[in-house]
Amino acid sequence: MSTSTAKSDYLLLFRGNVWDKGLSPAQLQKVVSDWMAWFERLKEEGKCLGGHPLEDEGKVVSGKQRTVADGPFAESKEAIGGYFYLTVANENEAIEIAKQCPGLEYGSVVEVRPVAEICSIKQHAEEYSSGQLAGATA
Amino acid sequence: MLLFRGPHWDRGLSPHELQAAMDKVMAWFEGLNARGKVKAGQPLSAQGRIISGGNGNLVVDGPFAESKEAVGGYLVLQADDLNEAVEIARSMPTLKHGISVEVRPILAECPIFERHREVLQRAKEQLWPAAAA
Repeated sequence: MSTSTAKSDYLLLFRGNVWDKGLSPAQLQKVVSDWMAWFERLKEEGKCLGGHPLEDEGKVVSGKQRTVADGPFAESKEAIGGYFYLTVANENEAIEIAKQCPGLEYGSVVEVRPVAEICSIKQHAEEYSSGQLAGATA
Repeated sequence: MLLFRGPHWDRGLSPHELQAAMDKVMAWFEGLNARGKVKAGQPLSAQGRIISGGNGNLVVDGPFAESKEAVGGYLVLQADDLNEAVEIARSMPTLKHGISVEVRPILAECPIFERHREVLQRAKEQLWPAAAA
């Protein structure tokens, strides 16, 4: 096990933006207040640097023609509904925090993603070019 | 917020093409940054976890590495409106290599909470009676 105390950053992506359907007013009240209290506590503990909900409406840009389409976000279980930015000790702590998400019991899914220092593709490109350089000077 | 989907656009590019594409991406990002349009943004590591189940007891590796839908990074933009954010997304150099960019307005309040404003108000009154009074 690593004994490193270096902090690492994670993004929590909350997937599913229709999990409130079919909930009773009492359930809604509980999940809303639990979620707010969870966010406030993580911020107070310095573990969450920020977070935002995302609007259901949006656009998707793709293709060589740079086509702009309306995003199919409204009814999707996969759609990303919001995010938290975490600064924690390690991955286990990020996972433990994700497990506390009050939406989980109603079908929400949390994706835990380490924030990278450098884009993996950029890293590949740099390895290629340093490899080429080594080849050229050999 | 721009979400970049499809983290394997580099496959099939020659080292030279890849280097040229990366130079364009970096120049694009620096240009946006110099214009004050970038509030935050980072690449995401492919090694992640997906948490689900009633009490978060299901933990699996994810997202699925080969997925074209997987999010490979994000940018939080300071744009005047959705149109400007879409135009910035359209200027992303790697679109021609097959990535897609999801453009999502950031909200002050969660739409789910918004749909249940009265419930939220009651919750606030219960949590902080003095402030709500």
